[in-house]
Amino acid sequence: MFKKRITLKILLFLIASDILETCTHYCFKKSTLPVSEITINGFSSAVSFFRIVVFSPFLWLGFLFVGLTFVVWSTILSKIDLSVAVPAASFSYILVPLVSIVFLHEQIDTLRWCGIAMILLGIIFASISSKEKRIV
Amino acid sequence: MYSSIFFLLGLIALADVFDTTRELCLKSAINSLDGYSPNTIKKVLQFVWTLVRLPKVWISFLCSVLSLFLYLFVLSKADLSVAFALDSMHYIFIAFAAKWVLKEKFGVMRWMGTICVAIGITLVSFSH
Repeated sequence: MFKKRITLKILLFLIASDILETCTHYCFKKSTLPVSEITINGFSSAVSFFRIVVFSPFLWLGFLFVGLTFVVWSTILSKIDLSVAVPAASFSYILVPLVSIVFLHEQIDTLRWCGIAMILLGIIFASISSKEKRIV
Repeated sequence: MYSSIFFLLGLIALADVFDTTRELCLKSAINSLDGYSPNTIKKVLQFVWTLVRLPKVWISFLCSVLSLFLYLFVLSKADLSVAFALDSMHYIFIAFAAKWVLKEKFGVMRWMGTICVAIGITLVSFSH
């Protein structure tokens, strides 16, 4: 019997789960980079592919991030509705362009700004809608 | 050409169905542990430990692996921007699933929020 409302803490958790998920993808990609020139056309090449990937430390770091994401995400879901958590977790679509402007000096065109604004609007709407609920 | 687009569309839709099933299983498993309110690190660890012993959570893991494989296969065939834009339909799937299966209450605000995020992701993925 607790209120299902987005608080600042849950918002920080959502951002943390986005960052962890980004780290997961980065690590998995990094673990397959040394084998990018191997073409899998038979059993032996598949075995050598997996042998290199399995011994890559990035793969195991990636699995660690998967575990952490699971912990953070299930904690979030224990506090708020799924239909609020899923749109609200799309922060990474805003964070990644912002990071690329600030650190990578990338140019962002109008269409992308419109998209970012729509996502932000959607997150705000979904977060406000969680306050409509009374105590369950 | 068109048939391959519809083929990819179907595969992405299937991956999104797996994604939706994953979130549904996880959320309903968490809902079945009603009353858990993890506030401290110790409680969070206890909560997760209880959670990973539920069969529904394993279904959810299986679904995420299947969806990952499908998505990787799609990415080897299609442009990332197209795959990404089509993938935004899983927000709509999850909204309907949460409404019908989990009986979550939907107001106008929540629908608008979900639709705005889906449109926004489509716009972001088609801009360069």
